[in-house]
Amino acid sequence: MSLTKRKDTLPIPPVDAERYTTVCQYCSVGCGYNVFVWPEKRSGTAKSNAFNVDLSKQSMLLSGFSYTETMHNVITRKNGNRYNLAIIPAKESRINKGDYSIRGGTNALTAYTPTGVTKDRLKYPLLRKENGFVAISWDDAVEIIATLTKNSMDKYGADSVAMKFYDHGSSGLGFEDNWGAGKFFLSGVKTQYLSIHNRPAYNSEVWGSRERGMHELNYDVDDARLADTIVLWGANAYEGATVFYTEHIMPNLQGGSIDEKKSEFAPGEPAEEGRIVIIDPRKNATTTVSQDISAERVLHLRPNLGTDWILANALARIAWENNWYDSAYLQKRTDMVTFEDYKSKSLELAKPLAVFLADAEKITGVSRKEMEEAAAWMAKPKAGGFKRRTLTLYEKGIIWNMKNYDQVAAIAQLNVLTHNVGRPGTGCGRLGGHQEGYVRPGAPTPGSIYAGGPPKNVDKYITGGGGKIYWVGATDPYLSTPNSKFFKKSVKKRANNLLDYLDNGGIPSDPKAYVAKVLEAFEKSDALFMIVQDIYKTHTSEDAMLILPAAGWGEAVDTSINCHSRLLRIYDKFMDAPGEALPDWKILALVGNKIKALYTADGNKEMAERFSGMEWKTDAEVFADGSQEFGDNRATEAEEARLSAECYKGVTHEMLRKLGNEGIQTPVRQDPVTGKLIGTKRRYQYSFASKDGLFKWYGTDAWTGYPAEIAKYINNPTYPFWFTTGRSQHVWQTMYHDKRIPEKLMTVPLPYLEIHPDDAGKLSLKTGDMAEVFNEEGSCLALVYVNDATKPGLVFGIMFHAKGTMNNLTSSYTDPKTTIPWYKGTKVGVKKYNGKLDDAIKTVSLLSNNDFSMT
Amino acid sequence: MSDISRRKFLQTTSASALLLFSGLGRESQAASAQSYSSRKIGNIKNLKVNEPLAFNYPDENSPCVLVNVGHEAVGGIGNGRSVVSFSTRCTHMGCPLTYNNGRLVCKCHYSMFDVSRNGQTYQGLASQWVAQVVLRLDAATGNIYAEGVEGLIYGRIGNLKLS
Repeated sequence: MSLTKRKDTLPIPPVDAERYTTVCQYCSVGCGYNVFVWPEKRSGTAKSNAFNVDLSKQSMLLSGFSYTETMHNVITRKNGNRYNLAIIPAKESRINKGDYSIRGGTNALTAYTPTGVTKDRLKYPLLRKENGFVAISWDDAVEIIATLTKNSMDKYGADSVAMKFYDHGSSGLGFEDNWGAGKFFLSGVKTQYLSIHNRPAYNSEVWGSRERGMHELNYDVDDARLADTIVLWGANAYEGATVFYTEHIMPNLQGGSIDEKKSEFAPGEPAEEGRIVIIDPRKNATTTVSQDISAERVLHLRPNLGTDWILANALARIAWENNWYDSAYLQKRTDMVTFEDYKSKSLELAKPLAVFLADAEKITGVSRKEMEEAAAWMAKPKAGGFKRRTLTLYEKGIIWNMKNYDQVAAIAQLNVLTHNVGRPGTGCGRLGGHQEGYVRPGAPTPGSIYAGGPPKNVDKYITGGGGKIYWVGATDPYLSTPNSKFFKKSVKKRANNLLDYLDNGGIPSDPKAYVAKVLEAFEKSDALFMIVQDIYKTHTSEDAMLILPAAGWGEAVDTSINCHSRLLRIYDKFMDAPGEALPDWKILALVGNKIKALYTADGNKEMAERFSGMEWKTDAEVFADGSQEFGDNRATEAEEARLSAECYKGVTHEMLRKLGNEGIQTPVRQDPVTGKLIGTKRRYQYSFASKDGLFKWYGTDAWTGYPAEIAKYINNPTYPFWFTTGRSQHVWQTMYHDKRIPEKLMTVPLPYLEIHPDDAGKLSLKTGDMAEVFNEEGSCLALVYVNDATKPGLVFGIMFHAKGTMNNLTSSYTDPKTTIPWYKGTKVGVKKYNGKLDDAIKTVSLLSNNDFSMT
Repeated sequence: MSDISRRKFLQTTSASALLLFSGLGRESQAASAQSYSSRKIGNIKNLKVNEPLAFNYPDENSPCVLVNVGHEAVGGIGNGRSVVSFSTRCTHMGCPLTYNNGRLVCKCHYSMFDVSRNGQTYQGLASQWVAQVVLRLDAATGNIYAEGVEGLIYGRIGNLKLS
């Protein structure tokens, strides 16, 4: 018997099947895919087919062509006919070379089908009435939102409209949708209360690097194969950016890229198997896979939560003391005035080395020996005096840490100090979560407190009674915002105030009467009108007044860049969106154009002008319009640093369609001599992205302990465990697709907790039990895995899950310099829960996911 | 309806099979008619816990493993429903899987499959669970017969469609 429906044969696309190129809808890697669509009743043959592969033979291992059960589906187009859909990893993509992850391998299963697991996609605008949501026309939906927004702005000001929208690429989003949302909210509404997907504010997560003159995406996938040492700092690459690890990091550790190194390195320069330094409190699967490849080339440092900038500074001090830096480089490329501040505050040169390192050991929990070894692996010149080549990638473990700004700045500075940027095999930046695709008019807050910030905290604004309209796009804050229980309770209360008011005497059906009554409610009660725009109903949409159906991946033409090469590609449209779902840019344009018409009718030219420029007809027009935001991109190779990281000016959809999986790397520059468009492989070889081209140093803060929101738990025996969160390899974000795919939900059926055997023993917990994880912010029930991923005293939970969120436990603390939350650290209590586990226990695997040993 | 899992479902009464009726199945894809041969692959009396037996099925180009995991497993036969069998071609990119302690492990990209849970990918890259061999136990003799494969064997357009 089988737990899921299985297939033992797959349909074959005929030679003339429709063919499209796209990029995976999920993680930062951006694996290339080829899409085939053909009528359900037609078939190619084993010898003659659109794959151009002989399917009559058993394929060889690692052939680069994979077509599995999860890569096929049957869709229905608007013409009423059924079509086979195959979504296959692209062998010709230099990003994935035919490889794929458990996420991307199920792309086909997420396609909308009227009778399958995705049948509950949103198809029509839905208005909340007395007995739930009812479908309404786009005309009515647009009139309601436009009229409400205009009246709210006129009466209460632009800040009465708040938003929480994605700002990224992939997931069916891209430059087009970001430009649409940006034009509407940043040029049109001009509210200060903007926030980015899961976060409480509108900010970069890496101002600590950008304000130094270094954008975080400055390397190429090739650098992971060329590096002498790779540093993964709070970045679980095997599970989170899987194919980047298996195709680029793993071959380096195995010695498979030595020939590439020899051809790229200087004559006589040593080229050996790569080493890896993993800095993470958990012994995650990235660590154990790397150890399985070669334990002696893996160094695993496990700092105390919230202490990483102290560790980065300690490694930099060790490099400094050993003269593992190039004075000529520092003088030529970095600002020697601010360098004095760095030396005094970050390297603390006035403090004797022994005292400095003893302090660092005490704060971080990492021994001096480990620090010295890590610093040597990162910075000590190789035999013959050749500079070591180190690629340092950080992600949420650093970004969502206690001191976002200082953590990111300290790591950026460690790498520039040791000249590990701008050379083959080096780089310093984000591993990334999702892909990128940001083009918007200027944000109201340009930077951290050192550059005009910090940005407003929208969560605090909304939960504190601020705002009248709250528009949530492609994000589910009830699961994903920090301190989510408090957020949910507060929003629900304000949404119910509105519903109570509307309900009294009946909710009008006529849009004008409806809007009039909502405006009355704004005046007379603490009401919040929430709009949720998404592809499915979400946890948050249960309290929305209006739900808008958005088109998903493959249902519109999108463009995005990946994180590891800034590779811009087209994500072509290969199927229809369900019902009347529309791309996000189009929804925002409909509302924007309506508001413009309302202001024009009022004779208010100034406000009408703010909402103009959204009259796009096609995705390609939006893409072209957005590109104007990048300004003049005529530049020589040596001038690349002054270009915006995602600049694609001059590139068109048609051009990208021809380039297919090859794409072009941003920033794209127009060569001043030839006029040709040229991509940028690697950044900051010639200068940095500051006005004078020099890297700007920054003296980090000293250790001052934990913020009040966390300090209250320290030494409190009710909350003995440090608590951190992360993701599972299997599922993407809130599981919006994955909770519908049986194989995924059976594998990760519940939120889960990892606990060390020593702690589990004291609590009588064993793998497969349920536990309650709790603190003063909230609680979550979780499935228990007892393993050695965490140290005694530390527990780990999946950040959020369709059936519960660990963000109930996180505090409302944000870094005062950036308003970035500390998602990754708080303290909790854990107790056994004696409730009965549902059917999940019969189908979930209870094996340990960080144990690859064969003994 | 000729597809294997449907036929097997109708034959079974085990509790976990009921999951098939709880909304977990995705849109049906009728498999084309396939006719698996019945082949004797071992005897239950000779199987020791966690000592896998290698064999080929449904043809000589398809390596599989038969194992007694020592506890109840989805699709298991024998008194303890503990004997299961799987293809050992990794469903990710076709590398060989090795049996170890209740799991199949691929050393190419580190996918791991739980043999007690229908070949579920509990860690790693393989988006398709590994294909499970349908077994029949002859109670009188203890002989074990392979009689079908549920799920696609990696690298094939159909399990029985090689030329």
